[in-house]
Amino acid sequence: MRKWIALAAACCLTVMSMTAFAQDKIALTVPLPLTGGQAKFGEIIKKSYDIALEEINAKGGVNGKQLVLSYEDSQGKPEIARSIAEKIIDVQKQPVLFAEYTSACAKAVAAVAEERKTPYMVIASAADEITQQNYKYVFRLNPTNAYYSEGLLGFMSDVVKPQSVAILYESSDFGTSGAEEMAKACEAKGMKVLMKEKYEKGAVDFKPILSQVKAANPDVIFMVSYVMDAALLMRQIKELRIDAKLFAGGAAGFAIPEFIDNAKDASEFVVTATLWSPQVPYPGAKEFAEKYKTAHGSYPSYHGALAYSSLFVIADALSRTKGMTADDIRDALAATNMKTAFGDVKFETKNGYQNQNFAETLALQVLGGKHETIWPEKYASAKYVFPIPKWRERK
Amino acid sequence: MWVQVEVFMQTLVAGILLGGLYALIGIGMTLILGVMKIINLTHGQLMMVAMYIAFWMFELFHIDPYLSLFIAPPLLFVLGVGLQKYLVNPVLKVESILPHNQVILTVGIGLVLQNLATIFFTSDYRSTPVDYASSAWYLSDLWAGTPVEISLSLPWTVSFCLSVSITLLLWFFLAKTDTGKSIRATAQDKDAAMLMGVNVSRMQVITFGLGAALVACAGCLFLPIYYLFPALGSQFTLIAFVITILGGMGSTIGAILGGLILGVFESMTATYVGMGWAPVGRFAIFVAALVFLPGGVASLLKSKKLTK
Repeated sequence: MRKWIALAAACCLTVMSMTAFAQDKIALTVPLPLTGGQAKFGEIIKKSYDIALEEINAKGGVNGKQLVLSYEDSQGKPEIARSIAEKIIDVQKQPVLFAEYTSACAKAVAAVAEERKTPYMVIASAADEITQQNYKYVFRLNPTNAYYSEGLLGFMSDVVKPQSVAILYESSDFGTSGAEEMAKACEAKGMKVLMKEKYEKGAVDFKPILSQVKAANPDVIFMVSYVMDAALLMRQIKELRIDAKLFAGGAAGFAIPEFIDNAKDASEFVVTATLWSPQVPYPGAKEFAEKYKTAHGSYPSYHGALAYSSLFVIADALSRTKGMTADDIRDALAATNMKTAFGDVKFETKNGYQNQNFAETLALQVLGGKHETIWPEKYASAKYVFPIPKWRERK
Repeated sequence: MWVQVEVFMQTLVAGILLGGLYALIGIGMTLILGVMKIINLTHGQLMMVAMYIAFWMFELFHIDPYLSLFIAPPLLFVLGVGLQKYLVNPVLKVESILPHNQVILTVGIGLVLQNLATIFFTSDYRSTPVDYASSAWYLSDLWAGTPVEISLSLPWTVSFCLSVSITLLLWFFLAKTDTGKSIRATAQDKDAAMLMGVNVSRMQVITFGLGAALVACAGCLFLPIYYLFPALGSQFTLIAFVITILGGMGSTIGAILGGLILGVFESMTATYVGMGWAPVGRFAIFVAALVFLPGGVASLLKSKKLTK
C-alpha cells in the first residue's frame, strides 16, 4: 500500500515539475555549498545569481518566460552533491545543470550528468581532469588550474624573475591539480621547484613545513588553498618572518575579502592569480561589480563574476535551443558564442580539453588592505609593489 | 649547518608550545578518568561549546577571547555538573547489557552537542581575528648577532603560559584544599573514601564540571590561533585520549608530560617526515604507549620513585 502511495506521489511531482517548464516559468534548481567550509564561496555565487536573475527577468526572461532559481545545499561534500544532481535529473527532470563550487563536488556532479546524458556547466571549479575525460555533456565556463596562473606567471617572469619556487598545496583535487600545473609551468620557464609539499586541509600548525621552506630559501612561495588555510599560512609565515621575494596564491582562498579579514596585516603584498577583477573592460563587468558592491558592501570575487555570467550563458542557450530536451540544450550550449561580464564565452575542444572555455587570467595584489588588480598592466587598478618590504621592516 | 639547527630549534619550540595546550586538554580528561573511571568521549565537543561561547562574546560584545577565560569555563563547569548529575549518574546506576554504557553515553552527548551547534550556528568557519594574532617575539630582536632565528608566536606563548598557570592552580587545588584532597581520595579508592566521610557522588559531579572547565580554558586559549566549526571536537577528544593513555590514566603530572611529549613528537614528525604524517605519529606513539608502557609515563615516574 505504502509503495503505491509513494509511486503516485513521485508521479505527481514529476508531472508538476515537467509542467513547470511548460508554463511561463522556467524553474531551475542549483546545487551550491551554502553551509560548511565553503559557505563563503557559495554565498558569493548565490548573491551573484540573484543579481543576474533579476536582470534577465527584467529584460523579459528567456523567450518571454520568467526564470526561477531554487538552491540546494551540498555543504561542499561530493556525496551530497552527487545525490542532489541525481535528484535534479531523475526526479525533477531538469534538462540542464550548472554550478557547484569545489572541484571535488563538480567532478561528482559531472559524472552523474554524463551518465544521465544531461548537459552540465561547471562555473568555478578548477581541476583540469573535469574537462579532460572525453565527456560530451560537461562544459566549463572558467579556465582550468593550468591556465589560472597565466596572469600570475606573466607577472613573475616579467617583473619578479625568480630562480626558485616552493609550492605548498592542500590535499584535495583543487590543490593537487593546481600544484601540478604550477610546477610544470615553472619548470617550463626555467624556475627551479625546490619543494612541493602537500598539507591536510584544516591543519593547525604549519610551522614545521614552513621551517623547511625557510631553510630552502626560495624566491617565491606559491600556495594553493581555500580561505582559512590561506589566512593561517600567511599569519604563520609572518610569525616565522620568512622573507621571500614574493608570496603568491593560486586563487580560491587568496582571492576573496575574507582572506584579508582573517590574515590582516599578514596578507599585505600577497599576490594571487585570479580569473576576473572589477577593472576588466568586458561588457557589464563594471556595472555588475558596482551593483554587487552597493548591495553587499564589497566588490565580488571572480566566483561572483563567473556565477553572474553563467546564468546569462544558460539563458542564452535556453533561448536558442530547438527543444527542451537534454540533447537539444546540449547542442545549444555547444554553439555558444557570446560576450559576457566574464569575457568572451565559446566552448572549444583543444589542447586535450573538451567543451572548455579559454579566458585570460589576471593577478591581484593586496595593497592597503584591499585587492587591487596589478597584471596585465592594461587592466591594472594600481601599480604593483615589488620588491616587497621584509617582515622586520613592515610596521 | 646553522640552518638545520634553526629548523630543529623552531620545531622544538613549536612542539613545546603545542604540548602546553595539549596538556591542558588532556588534564581534564585524565581527571575524569581517574575519579570516575569514565572515558569522557565528549571532551572535544565541550571544548567546541566553550569556543562558541568565546566567539559570540567576541562577535557581540567585543570581549577578547583571553578575557572569556573568566566567562566560558564557569559556564562549562555548570554544564559539566549538569551532564554528570542528570545524564551520567542515572546511567551508572542501571544494570545494562553493556558494562561501560556510560562511555557510549558520552559519545551520544558529544553527537548531540555537535549537531546542535551545526543547527544553531551552521558549519561555516568562524574566527576571531584579533590584532595580536600574528605577532611574535623574535630572538634576533634581543640578540642581534644570533646565528639562528627563533620566533615565539604571541598567541601560542600566551596560551602556553596560561596553561602552565592553570595547571599550577589545579595542582594547588588538588593538593592543598579539602575538596581537592577529597577528589584525590575518591580517585584512589572510592569505597574507602566513602567510609571516611567523603561525599563521593558530589566529588564525582564536581570533577566532571572541573574537567569541562579545564577544556573550556583550553578552548578560549585556542580560539585566536585557529578557527571554529562544529566538527572541531572529535580530533581533540582523540588527542586528549592519547595524552591520557600516554600519561597514565588518572595522573595529572603524567598528562602534563604526556602532552609535552606528544606535542614535540608531532612537531618533529611534521618537519622531518612530512606534514601529513603528524596524525600517524600521534597514533604510533599511542600504540607504543599501550604496548610498551601500559601505565603511561606516570608508571615510569612511580618506578623511579619520583612521585608517590
